[in-house]
Amino acid sequence: MAKKWPPALSIISLAACLAAPVLHFLGKLSSESYKLVFLAASIGWFVFATLWARRK
Amino acid sequence: MSGRWSSIASQMDRLYEFDREPVSPDKLQSGGKFAGLFAGEHVAATEFVIGAFFVLHGVTARDLFVGLLIGNLLAVLSWTFICAPIAIRTRLTLYWYLRKIAGPGLTIIYNLANAILYCILAGAMIAVSATAVGLAFRIKTPALNAVFPGSIGWVLLTIVIGGLFTTLAILGFEKLSRFAEVCSPWILIVFIAGALAVLPRLGVTANFRNFWEIATTRIWNGIPVAGQDRFSLWQVMFFAWFCNLAMHIGLSDLAIFRYARRWTYGLYTAFGMYPGHMLAWICSGIMVAAVGREMNPGLMAYEALGLAGVAGLLLAGWTTANPTLYRAGLALQTITPNWPRWKVTLAAGAITTGLSCFPVFFVKLLDYVAIYGLVLMPMGAIVFAENWIFPCLKLEQYSAEKRGWAFNWIALGVWVGTLVVCFLMPIHLYFRWLPGYFIALISYILLSLGRKR
Repeated sequence: MAKKWPPALSIISLAACLAAPVLHFLGKLSSESYKLVFLAASIGWFVFATLWARRK
Repeated sequence: MSGRWSSIASQMDRLYEFDREPVSPDKLQSGGKFAGLFAGEHVAATEFVIGAFFVLHGVTARDLFVGLLIGNLLAVLSWTFICAPIAIRTRLTLYWYLRKIAGPGLTIIYNLANAILYCILAGAMIAVSATAVGLAFRIKTPALNAVFPGSIGWVLLTIVIGGLFTTLAILGFEKLSRFAEVCSPWILIVFIAGALAVLPRLGVTANFRNFWEIATTRIWNGIPVAGQDRFSLWQVMFFAWFCNLAMHIGLSDLAIFRYARRWTYGLYTAFGMYPGHMLAWICSGIMVAAVGREMNPGLMAYEALGLAGVAGLLLAGWTTANPTLYRAGLALQTITPNWPRWKVTLAAGAITTGLSCFPVFFVKLLDYVAIYGLVLMPMGAIVFAENWIFPCLKLEQYSAEKRGWAFNWIALGVWVGTLVVCFLMPIHLYFRWLPGYFIALISYILLSLGRKR
């Protein structure tokens, strides 16, 4: 089960990276909030995708 | 073969020994692997500059979209119909195949030319990354007509970044390559996110209905900035086609496609071309329009994505400079016998860092990409002729290998002669390679026929 977490979390992080600018474009997220969400999701992607890559 | 050439050639052979034999059937790779490889390879820091330059050159929106669609299609077809079939037939890298055709001496010269061109390319990537770090220190990005560094700050910045990239490459190229695989999907998202985020600033409404109107009036409006010539559909199309000329027409990617099961695997390059050389270029065009058409990749990334954008630009520069430094080091190792890997990487890094101080390679990146492909293209024509046309004309193939020549003088003459003719052609730099290719192909066949008689 634990093996499934890094791939799932990395994909969720990447999706969040994409969702943040979409929400900003639609006017639902301010510029500052979008940049913060994008940064946090990016960190998430690098952490989980690196774990995922190590296990492959 | 003279003693010196013989010694260099045997040194070089040892470096490439691991891929001397044709790839065996059990080593062939699936199509999915090719799709993944190309998808990751063609989203680099330079995409921030190329797409932005199209805006600065006054390309219209229609010319951009049509030109990129057709140009990238031509690139994909060049891989599929020119590079992949030769790779499937020979299962050899360009190095070993060229050695049979041109001789070890000429292959050394070709390798050195390649090394210098790689160093310049990696230097441009360092300069692009420097624009991101330069923001924090208020270091001015070079002007579009700059040749020499404009400030001591710029020199120090490129030296520090170049030194950092070189140190990381020395510490562990392979581990970094694996990290680059993690970076590549995210870097593509950086482009898409950056473009989406600045669209409201350009006036695009949430329902997207006025996108085309904004695209044609505020982004690709057909008006070049001062000092830049105006690009038409033809320049965009040819640029997209020749951007990887050394890889497809120039046949460098024999090294990759020799692992393909079928020549149709060339079509998988579309997974690299359309996201990297179409979508990313469109996105960087949007980003440069949002910063008032100022060629400053660091500013573009920061304005669009904040700190993550700066990190994205640095990572895009680093992940693409890293393998480029490795390839340059491998090619340079031919003239530095007995040097360990770290030392040759250090030498390649030092040359690259030195070149990165000169902004001309970054601000004239489009022209440099054209020259890079043009310089290596004639060898692709020579290999194509030997592989497909010589058997039809009953001409002897691989004369250099069979007769033990260090130099195939006809190949050398055709290479140099084609470049001289291309240099003198009274047409735009971007279009010269195409007639040049046919000049190289025909002259090599005719001169070989003459030698036979």
